[in-house]
Amino acid sequence: MAELKLLLKYRDVPGIENIDVWESFGGYEGLKKALTMERSAVIEEMKTSAVRGRGGAGFPAWIKWSGVLKHTDAPHYLICNGDEGEPGTFKDRELMLKLPHQLVEGMIIAAYATNTDKGYIYIRGEFVEPAKSVRKAIDQAYAKGYLGRSILGREDFNFDLYIHMGAGSYECGEETALMSSLMGERGQPRLKFPHGALPVDAGAWDSPTLINNVETYSCAPHILRNGGAWYASMGTERSKGTKIISVSGHVKKPGNYEIELGTPLMEVLDLAGGVIGGKLKAVIPGGSSVPILPAEKCVGVNMDYESCQAAGTMLGSGGFIVFNEKTDIVLLMRRTAEFYAHESCGKCTPCREGTRWMFKILDRIVSGGGLRSDIDLLQDITNNMDGRCYCPLGDAAAWPIRAGIKNFREEFEYWITHKKSPIGDDCVPPVPYRINPALIPLS
Amino acid sequence: MDIENSNSITPETGERTGCKKEGRFSPNAIAELEEIITHYPNKKAAMLPALWIAQREYGGYITPEAIREVASLLGRPKAEVEGVATFYSMYNFKPKGRHHLEVCTCLTCGCVGAYEVVRKLEEILGIHLGETTPDGEFTLSEVECLDWCEAATVIQVGNKYFGHVTKDNVEMVLEQLRDSDDHTPISLADDIVKILLPGREPKSNAG
Repeated sequence: MAELKLLLKYRDVPGIENIDVWESFGGYEGLKKALTMERSAVIEEMKTSAVRGRGGAGFPAWIKWSGVLKHTDAPHYLICNGDEGEPGTFKDRELMLKLPHQLVEGMIIAAYATNTDKGYIYIRGEFVEPAKSVRKAIDQAYAKGYLGRSILGREDFNFDLYIHMGAGSYECGEETALMSSLMGERGQPRLKFPHGALPVDAGAWDSPTLINNVETYSCAPHILRNGGAWYASMGTERSKGTKIISVSGHVKKPGNYEIELGTPLMEVLDLAGGVIGGKLKAVIPGGSSVPILPAEKCVGVNMDYESCQAAGTMLGSGGFIVFNEKTDIVLLMRRTAEFYAHESCGKCTPCREGTRWMFKILDRIVSGGGLRSDIDLLQDITNNMDGRCYCPLGDAAAWPIRAGIKNFREEFEYWITHKKSPIGDDCVPPVPYRINPALIPLS
Repeated sequence: MDIENSNSITPETGERTGCKKEGRFSPNAIAELEEIITHYPNKKAAMLPALWIAQREYGGYITPEAIREVASLLGRPKAEVEGVATFYSMYNFKPKGRHHLEVCTCLTCGCVGAYEVVRKLEEILGIHLGETTPDGEFTLSEVECLDWCEAATVIQVGNKYFGHVTKDNVEMVLEQLRDSDDHTPISLADDIVKILLPGREPKSNAG
């Protein structure tokens, strides 16, 4: 198992963002094939492929697809989550920028399979260039008759696809918050199953809604073209297919690498040219929200949902951040806490208050005022956030800090005792020279 | 969200008496909004697009008048429009410099030199984070992950991302911007509005 390019196969083909070039590599053949099949048979193909949601949660895609199709009485909506915001993740950006037709084709297939005639691609406001590329792809697809009325002569299949631009909010990457934002509201989450309805039953505008990540939709053309069984022949028993891993940090060749699920973590590191600036200290394998893995625990871990979980972390969105020995974990955790304090939407008290308290305490530690009891206090806060919020942002803010303490407790103790970094003056991230006063007033 | 430090947007008295002030949405902007509204099942959903149009029409930031005009065009309460607008970090409530430098200092960038870039920018521009140069040319801010970590350190300036920025080459970024009328808060809003509309062919910023 190693690098295996499926979604990124044509990334470097000049002009691949244009419809003619995409078609010359078999583009829109998956759609044409889907249109010869019953809607339920398309979903059956997705089921056979066993592709799981690539946004981070890893939920089987076909269950969502079939959940929407079973409703026959209301309008359906299709949403693509292109609100990529997870620190360390940049796969959706590249997929939209370089391969927009792969995404558009995947969404048209999903629209057909779920009997949906309206779709939205929600793209984060900062992604102007990727969004321009998607805009052009949608316009070209309309011109060729892949979008609009009676698609490819099928009078029972109409599909209009729109772009909705965000305006700066990490929280909107969470599916229910994204739908709030799409409907013109503050980007705050809604109560979820089993306390509230699933999006497939009552999502956007209280109608059955299919929401998938950019990478998930981008898999669909390949699955339809080559068959679900072919897709399922890649990967491990429970994690099928390929996954794009965004490698960044202290590596020689940062970038997006597509691998077969189950590839050893250390092999991903090798693909990116290995660690630079010193020995490997730790890896965050799935974006800032997942627990950090110290170097000694990286060996033997494979990049699939189960192996990552067994190692005490998660595959998440595939945001693979590498840290060398110059990294100060306490300062890194402080920066992580700062991110979540800034991005908490404020709806649930444990998250709104907890993220701020974690940041204040970590800030106190790196300002030289840490107390012995601060480590336990931090752990106590994480325990009171995890699982106590409407959406996973609260969990995602708690897990990294908890794992940081678990794996690098001695660094926290060193900071509290010696009031300086155990790494030295050249540590990264650097000791803050000024606290950002706009974010949180120190009390 | 920097609500406390933003200019507070409060409804003006007399609004309910029916004396409606002239808005600043041009006929073209109204036409754009009307087309965007057709994309959704109801008018309310056009809130974010309408605020983007407002940010462009009102010179790069959202004023109390802009809130009032969006509320009136969408038939929503002003308080609701203000509530939505202040949730999102990309809507400005104060004028920004002609070029708004937003340096990512999140995990990857922060570990490969973003803070050095910030310091260097503060030194060159003679301002601190959150401030604007006296000539109105640059505003300097720190932002969370821009999701182009392979090119860390990343700076967003209006509609453009600058990647692979270091303390040694950041001066070149400034030089490029000094001569450019593009990459402003207004061009960012304009690009976003054009992206929402089919067939408008927003120009590409190569490079």
